Amino acid sequence: MRLNPLTSLALAGATAVITTAAASWPLSLAVAAAALALAVRGGIARRLLPAAAAVLVPLCLSLLIMHGLFFPEGWTVLVQWGPARITVEGLAFALERAAQIAAAVLALLVFSFSVHVPDLVAALSARGVQGRFAFVLASTLTLLPAVTSRVHRIRQAQESRGLVIRPGLLHRATAFRLQAVPLVLSLIEEAGTRAAALEARGFSNTGPRTSYRAVPDSRLQRTLRAVLVLAATAAVAARLWLGRAGT
Amino acid sequence: MAEAHNSEGIQDHGDAQDPAQPILSAGIRTFTFPDDGVPVLRGIDLAFLPGTLTVVLGPSGSGKSTLGRLLAGWLPPGGGGTLHGFLELAGTRLHFGGADHPPGPRINPSAWGRQVGFVPQDPASVLSTVKATVAEELAFGLENAAVGRAAMTAAVEQTAALVGLTELLEHNPVQLSGGQLRRLAIGCAVIAGPRILIMDEPFASLDSAGSARLAGLVRKLVKRGTAVVIFSQVVDAPLLEAGTWLVLAEGSIRAGGTPAELLARPGMLPAGIRYPSGPSGPGQDEAPPTAPLKPHVQPRRQATPAAPALELRELSFSYGAGDRTPRRRIRRRGAAHEPQGTPPPEVLKGISLAVHAGEIVAVTGPNGAGKSTLLRHLNGLLRPTSGQILVGGVEIAGTPAGVVAQRVGLLFQQPRDQLFERTALREVHFGLDQLYSSTEAGERASTALETVGLAGSAHGHPVELPASSQRLLALATVLARNPSVLALDEPTVALDGNGLARLDAAVGAAAEEGAAVVLVTHDLTYARRMAHRVVTLEGGQLLP
Ligand SMILES: Nc1ncnc2c1ncn2[C@@H]1O[C@H](COP(=O)(O)OP(=O)(O)OP(=O)(O)O)[C@@H](O)[C@H]1O
Ligand SMILES: [Mg+2]
Repeated sequence: MRLNPLTSLALAGATAVITTAAASWPLSLAVAAAALALAVRGGIARRLLPAAAAVLVPLCLSLLIMHGLFFPEGWTVLVQWGPARITVEGLAFALERAAQIAAAVLALLVFSFSVHVPDLVAALSARGVQGRFAFVLASTLTLLPAVTSRVHRIRQAQESRGLVIRPGLLHRATAFRLQAVPLVLSLIEEAGTRAAALEARGFSNTGPRTSYRAVPDSRLQRTLRAVLVLAATAAVAARLWLGRAGT
Repeated sequence: MAEAHNSEGIQDHGDAQDPAQPILSAGIRTFTFPDDGVPVLRGIDLAFLPGTLTVVLGPSGSGKSTLGRLLAGWLPPGGGGTLHGFLELAGTRLHFGGADHPPGPRINPSAWGRQVGFVPQDPASVLSTVKATVAEELAFGLENAAVGRAAMTAAVEQTAALVGLTELLEHNPVQLSGGQLRRLAIGCAVIAGPRILIMDEPFASLDSAGSARLAGLVRKLVKRGTAVVIFSQVVDAPLLEAGTWLVLAEGSIRAGGTPAELLARPGMLPAGIRYPSGPSGPGQDEAPPTAPLKPHVQPRRQATPAAPALELRELSFSYGAGDRTPRRRIRRRGAAHEPQGTPPPEVLKGISLAVHAGEIVAVTGPNGAGKSTLLRHLNGLLRPTSGQILVGGVEIAGTPAGVVAQRVGLLFQQPRDQLFERTALREVHFGLDQLYSSTEAGERASTALETVGLAGSAHGHPVELPASSQRLLALATVLARNPSVLALDEPTVALDGNGLARLDAAVGAAAEEGAAVVLVTHDLTYARRMAHRVVTLEGGQLLP
């Protein structure tokens, strides 16, 4: 079954919200593992992992440094240098937070890497979301592939003139410095012409618009989306209420 | 409005129009680009009546594309440049005074676009880039106008049939061939039924079927009351049907009249205008009709009997095998939507070809036949799924494209895909220092620019050059490397007469010096004139 993109968005969003609200590390780990499994099954793991690493590694490191070293309530000290001390409680807290964030980030990334962008845009505009907003969203989601294919084109032009790129990711990465400036220039240049074309084709019209692409939807999916939204709201409410009751 | 589609797929204009009232008119005293002292257009008065075909002929750099974009609202005065004069669309006149009357009126591009359809010179620039299929791309303008789905589907089908895209409706627009992309751009411009259609070099890159279709489409539109304006530097046969020809040179209208009037008086058309039916223009009828340009040197078959300069053996290729989409995803999608296990269609099916040093081979064939795909194999940018490519007797499999490029020079179909530097000189210089010492590299770069007549633009930005100069600059980057195999993808497109002469001279000289040349073109007359041999690529196979 082809999921309506709004359903997958609701799924990903609700998962992220509920794991964050629950703040339970077994749940976080389970969600993260499930997201990874989905990514592998969907064949997007190779693109998803670098993106996830780029987001998560710095975040988790800063969490570890912040809480691992300076956790005020920590009292089981492992190592100490002056004011900075590593405590068991600090580490545990940092790891818990990291798992929580990883779960939420992975859930959202799986969605954004697997969603069929034209479907998403069609689904949004069918719900009266402003064309301009839907377009901005679509171009943001397609930005990465667009940039990749542009880099590919520039690289082909350069290879045709003798730039030798040996196979392998590392060689491509080192050659990238030659493509970076042309890439930026061509993106800027193109944005101008593209804008004229889009305007002329009426994309900034404020009135209603229709969608050529039919996006599958069903009563079941609509119900599921409502349930997911309710569940996420309930999780947040419960969290807030528990938090207040706790203090 | 779009509900008014008739059975032939062309919209009737909802409101009755007065045939004596121009749909679009312009009085351009001057138009100047920002940070550019000299006006590019001056003293132009135009009016386009319903149901007429007007052709604006002009050599490269005469201001055709600027005028076209200005009339189409793609270059709104203000941000895009300074206009002194007026534009009048459907009875509403906008006066632009330039700096003395700030801020001046503003063109509303989407209101303009509802009445004016535009096909720019570079068809790729119409793409919205967010649409996944040709059908959705065609529908984009209708979606924005809130046309109902039934009417939209009908319009998409009819327009696709008109321009010849029916088979390709479910294809991704970024994977179209050059000619297919041109058809899509034309489709996007006509689908909403504009009252005036402006097209910049629309016949470029179209095969003969595509040209015939476009000519038919223009005829139909004119009959239904659309004003059609075509900018061109080539007198393609359909342009002879126009009611009016206007001659644009150095930014102003030099002459106007019916085609017969202008053709009758020699010297009325600037030298840069090309006649694809042969080099003889009006007034030169006595000149020998098609002086062959191919070098008289016979290809050196005997000298190197063992190794042709370029040899293809049983080359087969299909997109998708080397595709970068993860395979697993394709399979999963396939399970949901497509019959299981249909392999991507083969674009090239067992192509064999040998080209000897000094020989020029022309490849023709319909749009989407795989000509550009074939040329990209010659320098290793694409790798065959099976078969071999030998350059100078040595197989190139496993050699990086950058190394093959020392011997094979490829001119891309779209010059914009080939150019990436900040100045023309840097562009030609790129990669030369790997082949030559730095002084020689510098000399070669300037010589190559001179050969194509661009010495004066050495420090210009490639993107800002006129299309003809972009093509010549791309050619210079290839020539500077002195390759032993030259692969040229539609080298004549966008060239005016002067540019074509330079191209001919350069290709002739390269062949005389012993380069093997493979050139792709839709211009059969040109192919016969230039090449020792013409082959046709059709259905994935080379036919003699
Ligand atoms: N990157 C790609 N991915 C998938 N299919 C492609 C890709 N590029 C081209 N094609 C398809 O391969 C076929 C051959 O394209 P190619 O560009 O080689 O045609 P061509 O003969 O050069 O046509 P034209 O005369 O229009 O330039 C076309 O059907 C095109 O749609
Ligand atoms: Mg091509």
